[in-house]
Amino acid sequence: MKAQSSVQINKEWDIVGARQMGREKAKELGFGSVDQARIATAISELARNIYLYAQRGRIHVEVINDLNKKGLKIIAQDEGPGIADISKVMEDGYSTSGGLGAGLPGVKRLMDEFDILSDKEKGTTISAIKWVRS
Amino acid sequence: MDLNINILGNVEGTKQILKLTGEIDAYTAPKLKEALLPLVKKDGELVIVDLENVSYMDSTGLGVFISALKATKEHNSELRLVSLQDRVERLFEITGLNSIINIDSTVQGGN
Amino acid sequence: MELNKFDFNNYRDLLDRYILKQDESALYQAEQFTKLSMQNNILPEEFINIHIQALKELYPDLPKEICASLNFLLETMISYGLAYQEFQTLREKQGELESEISVAASMQQTLLSTTKPEISGLDIGAISVPANRMNGDYHHFVKDESNNLGIAIADVIGKGIPAALAMSMIKYALDSFPESQLSPSVILENLNRVVERNVDTNMFITMFYGFFDSKNSVLQYASAGHEPGFYYCAKEDKFIEIKAKGLVLGVTPDAIYEQFELKLEKDDIVILLTDGVTECRIGERFIESEEVLHVIRQYIHLPAQEAVEKVFKYFERIQDFHLRDDFTLIFLKKEV
Repeated sequence: MKAQSSVQINKEWDIVGARQMGREKAKELGFGSVDQARIATAISELARNIYLYAQRGRIHVEVINDLNKKGLKIIAQDEGPGIADISKVMEDGYSTSGGLGAGLPGVKRLMDEFDILSDKEKGTTISAIKWVRS
Repeated sequence: MDLNINILGNVEGTKQILKLTGEIDAYTAPKLKEALLPLVKKDGELVIVDLENVSYMDSTGLGVFISALKATKEHNSELRLVSLQDRVERLFEITGLNSIINIDSTVQGGN
Repeated sequence: MELNKFDFNNYRDLLDRYILKQDESALYQAEQFTKLSMQNNILPEEFINIHIQALKELYPDLPKEICASLNFLLETMISYGLAYQEFQTLREKQGELESEISVAASMQQTLLSTTKPEISGLDIGAISVPANRMNGDYHHFVKDESNNLGIAIADVIGKGIPAALAMSMIKYALDSFPESQLSPSVILENLNRVVERNVDTNMFITMFYGFFDSKNSVLQYASAGHEPGFYYCAKEDKFIEIKAKGLVLGVTPDAIYEQFELKLEKDDIVILLTDGVTECRIGERFIESEEVLHVIRQYIHLPAQEAVEKVFKYFERIQDFHLRDDFTLIFLKKEV
């Protein structure tokens, strides 16, 4: 099994490709159907954020094989405008798109670990991990 | 109840007419403020607010007009309220604001 | 987050019973199961998954179309699950805010509390009820050594927390004025300067200030744009509006307040109020001031405190027990 794969996000249809990639990796790793769906949804949200706010970026999916646990790491990377106030976008009830999107708090909920690095003008890198339940 | 704001722009160069329909209360006052303040902040502008179709206004609405009045002093613009219904006019009378805001209930606003 | 094996088997058996017999008691037990799941924070998509697994155990040869459709349902439920969790968090946050507001409200009550003084020859009744938790109305009594009464009734524009904060300022400004006899017009002029300097441009306060001279039975008063009260003249059995023109506090720094006088005879009543009384709505209609007076008239023979409470109860009821604005009503009844 290849340890890392990635999909370029340039247009809306690329989001579907990223979901697909994530789901297949999740299935290979032995995630149950609920967690597969959660991983796909988290990727969807992250890819959509790239598409809406940074126009272009990448979604990487990486298998983590620790001694006692296995997991999947999603990395969403863009060189967009960056997030000025991270605590604001992590607040419930706040959605920059004004729509019904689950937003970043949603991604955090769907996954087990979550981290954001963002620099003004340099872009944003979000990583999130889901562990396989033993 | 909602408030509709219709800006009948720049009729004679330096005149703006704001035609309001509905109720001005704590919920709709921010909307009025957003529409009215930029207009009175234009130097030398005459802003006429037509209240003919405003059936209710509470003190929050008065607050918006006081802010606008203060802005006219800074920008040498003018604020005029026309065609007030009795209940709304009473509010300006009780609060004494009719002595500092230009109010004309007899004038037909809008044109 | 996970249901245990026992609960899963329980759900599967209930499902089985229902499929075979459409048994109402199975549905009732399922309802209990739902509640248990919610207590354990089982998300919608997990619930769907339990259903899918149970169904597959009961019917191992489930058509693949049905399986696919159930998976489809599971996927679509993820977003509902997220919305549900967000709702939960917001509800918890709301709870925290509520308790913070409770603390603020009780602090306001302590800060702004006033005691109704005993003035011989004057029966005083006062009631002030906020529409929400914090009161934007304010009233205050002071009694001097000569049995005279100073009385303030005020209303801050708007409601809620900003109004309450502005009120505290008014109270402390009033307290800072010298105790020696100040006339209502001077008090309002001083307060106006305080308010003008300290509040936002779109905020203002209306206030009626009265000074009751016990010896001469005269009420001196001035008003800063406050809702006019009424004078009930017992001899003529008539209500007269207390007219006192003056600009609201906080608009211009140099406002002047004219002072008026009213001589009170036995059984005369001075009625002071805020617009929560006169701007009261019944359905879509506003109450007219004749109606307000009609209600007041029914209770004027009662002791002042009982009367204001009865009037309030009446207005509370006609507004379906939901006040739209803070409500303050004060009666000063001349006894002898």
